[in-house]
Amino acid sequence: MKDPTIKRVLALFALVTVVLVAVAAHAVRQLNRTATASDWVNRTHALINELEGIAAATQSAEGSLRVYALTRDPRDLAAVRRSQVRLADHLEVAGALARDQAATAAQVARLATLAETRNAFARELGAAPPESLAALLAADAASTAVEELLRLVERLVTEQMDLLAARDQESFLQAQTTRWTIGLGVAVNFLLLAAGAWLIRDDILMRRRAAAAMATANAQLESRVQARTAELSAANERLNLENLERRWANQALEHQLRYNHLIINSITDLVFVITKAANISRINPAVEHDTGWLAKDLINRPLPELVRLTAGELPLQRALKEGHDLRDLPAILHRNEGGEVPVRFTFYPLRDGNNVVGGVVILNRTTA
Amino acid sequence: MSHHILIVDDEAEIRSLLEQFLSFSGYRITTVATAREALAHAAATPPDLVISDLQLEESDGLDLIAKLKAAQPGLPVILLTSVLFDRQTVEENLSKRVSAYLPKTTPLTQLLAEIQRLLATGK
Repeated sequence: MKDPTIKRVLALFALVTVVLVAVAAHAVRQLNRTATASDWVNRTHALINELEGIAAATQSAEGSLRVYALTRDPRDLAAVRRSQVRLADHLEVAGALARDQAATAAQVARLATLAETRNAFARELGAAPPESLAALLAADAASTAVEELLRLVERLVTEQMDLLAARDQESFLQAQTTRWTIGLGVAVNFLLLAAGAWLIRDDILMRRRAAAAMATANAQLESRVQARTAELSAANERLNLENLERRWANQALEHQLRYNHLIINSITDLVFVITKAANISRINPAVEHDTGWLAKDLINRPLPELVRLTAGELPLQRALKEGHDLRDLPAILHRNEGGEVPVRFTFYPLRDGNNVVGGVVILNRTTA
Repeated sequence: MSHHILIVDDEAEIRSLLEQFLSFSGYRITTVATAREALAHAAATPPDLVISDLQLEESDGLDLIAKLKAAQPGLPVILLTSVLFDRQTVEENLSKRVSAYLPKTTPLTQLLAEIQRLLATGK
């Protein structure tokens, strides 16, 4: 995975995932807190209800006890006992609800103690003879248990209400924090996704530009290749033409040379080409045929050793020096096998520009 | 349609070189070695120009040219030969019988220029 854009996009998606997980974890934790707080609130409301029930049952029991003290009606005493039973129930439930709160539980226990004091007084009053009721009531007038119980209940209710209010404020702040956290997470994710989209868009644009540049480069390359191919083709054509021209020139020279040989070789007279020193440099086939000498024996050999002018060597030397013709002079040709043949000697000087460079000797056989 | 050129020469190498060069220059080429073949081809497919050697195996190039011109008057003919004539001979004897006389030592580009000139003027 070498593409940097893919790396960046994957990193962005990883960040999005992290933010989502963090937000989800925070929301779950807040939900758990809310559920716990809701349980606490319910329990606190129940405790408050129980405390108010304790106060109501206490007041009901005290009222019924006062009525019994006046009427001595057992039904009123029964009403006292019913109120005390309700009070005991409320105290038990309140104690259970407050068992996780040590201070509150201690205060509920204190309420139970005070309630028990009043229960004991009620039992004493119910068992006492009628003549001693007034004294018992008089003695109870100084008791502050009921007032203390009711004040304690009121304080507990106030404390629980304050706790409720504080918890309510805390819940509000938690809800606000959750809202901000989720909102912030969504906003961050949106920004991250937008950045990812921008990166992808930028990458696509870059790839399109690169593809366009590549297409342009390819087109230019194709054009250059075509131009180069055309140049090579033209160069190849030139080379082919030059090659043809060279072959044509060679064949022309060969043809010309062959034609010249053909002319010389077709002559039946004896033809010698000699240098300026009168040495033989070339002969035609008729020389070999008529003298019996081979070309290799004659080349570079002085002509006078083979052909002797009747008039001596001087005319040939002079003709070579001065560059003039000798026509139809009598001469003797020496054959290889030793015989001599009379011939007519003709000489033409070979000129290269103004210089005599040699000559051509032609021997005609004499018929007479 | 490219011009049709009939090449008459008894040497295969010369026919081959001329055919390659002139085909490369865009002409339709027919090559023959003898005068008889040349006359047969010219009768079947009249050429726009003839290049002929002077010395042929069965005939003389000038005789062939005379027969070709009898059948196709105005046919441009180039006599291409290794026989070297002097200027006077060319002017007196050859100029009336052929459109151009060129030695075989003439460069191919010069031969091409002569062909183009003759085909353009139609002489």
